[in-house]
Amino acid sequence: MDLAIRAVVLFTFVYLLTRIIGRRELSSLEPFDLILLIVIGDAIQQGLTQDDYSVTGAVIVVGTFAVLQVFVSFLSYRFSFLRTVLDGDPIVIVQDGKPIERNLKRERLTLEEIMVEARQQQVASLDQIAWGVLETTGKISIIPKD
Amino acid sequence: MADIPDTLVLRRHRDLQGKRNEAWLRRGLLVTIAAVPLLALFNVFGQRPHVETARADAASLELYAPAHLRGGLLWEARLTVRARRDLKDAVLELDRGWMEGMSINTIEPSPVGEGSHDGKLVLDLGHVPAGQKYSLYMQFQVNPTNVGRRGQAVRLYDGKHLLATIHRRVTVFP
Repeated sequence: MDLAIRAVVLFTFVYLLTRIIGRRELSSLEPFDLILLIVIGDAIQQGLTQDDYSVTGAVIVVGTFAVLQVFVSFLSYRFSFLRTVLDGDPIVIVQDGKPIERNLKRERLTLEEIMVEARQQQVASLDQIAWGVLETTGKISIIPKD
Repeated sequence: MADIPDTLVLRRHRDLQGKRNEAWLRRGLLVTIAAVPLLALFNVFGQRPHVETARADAASLELYAPAHLRGGLLWEARLTVRARRDLKDAVLELDRGWMEGMSINTIEPSPVGEGSHDGKLVLDLGHVPAGQKYSLYMQFQVNPTNVGRRGQAVRLYDGKHLLATIHRRVTVFP
């Protein structure tokens, strides 16, 4: 039973962590972020299963995680007011070639980061951007002007 | 102005109406999470040991052990008996909290005898001459399911005569 409880506690903690760290930090997988991700995974695993090396233990933990993930996904799908809490909302960061400073500051985003994303989407200058949107996944969508 | 992309609502997604407090909530939660390692630095979650002493005319009993532990941790308790006068048969009596949900890796030096008194573990140390010090090292590992608070009182007897008691409780974090 304690395995399932530990799984619920750690799932909630990790979910909360991903929501408060900021979407941009999580979406940019730099080499350091990748290593950090592995280290976090390892630390969580140790707290989860501790000295339990059994298949039963693994099934309980993975099963609990799967059920929780489906449950969260269901809540997000079924209740729109919870979707904002669980997944967040997209945020407009550029409109008609003009960056929205207040939103950039809130998400700790720089103009350079927007331009990196813009160039990757074949948009060369800020003036050419109709809409720049920071999605809930942490990716920046660039919609060029016609 | 270019058409607003479908499903985007400017009041909500650009002006962030009704979300003014969200950033502060996020910062508050971040501070709460940051407080956990900070508290850990101050030994709130173990396992820094500290000394507790009980004194009597005949002898003193000193315990050096952590009072906060976490599941799976290896830890040590050192019990020291300082005899002021001859202790013909020094006996330590340990509350059940010492054994319950703990793996005992070793007890050194091995006591002369072991037994149970009223559900408590009794370790017979034998003769401790006046002016001598007897140190008993106990190595444990916390069972991961052993969560909560347990009494870990220790009593020092000379034969059947109670000399000193250390009252303490240990807290095991999950």
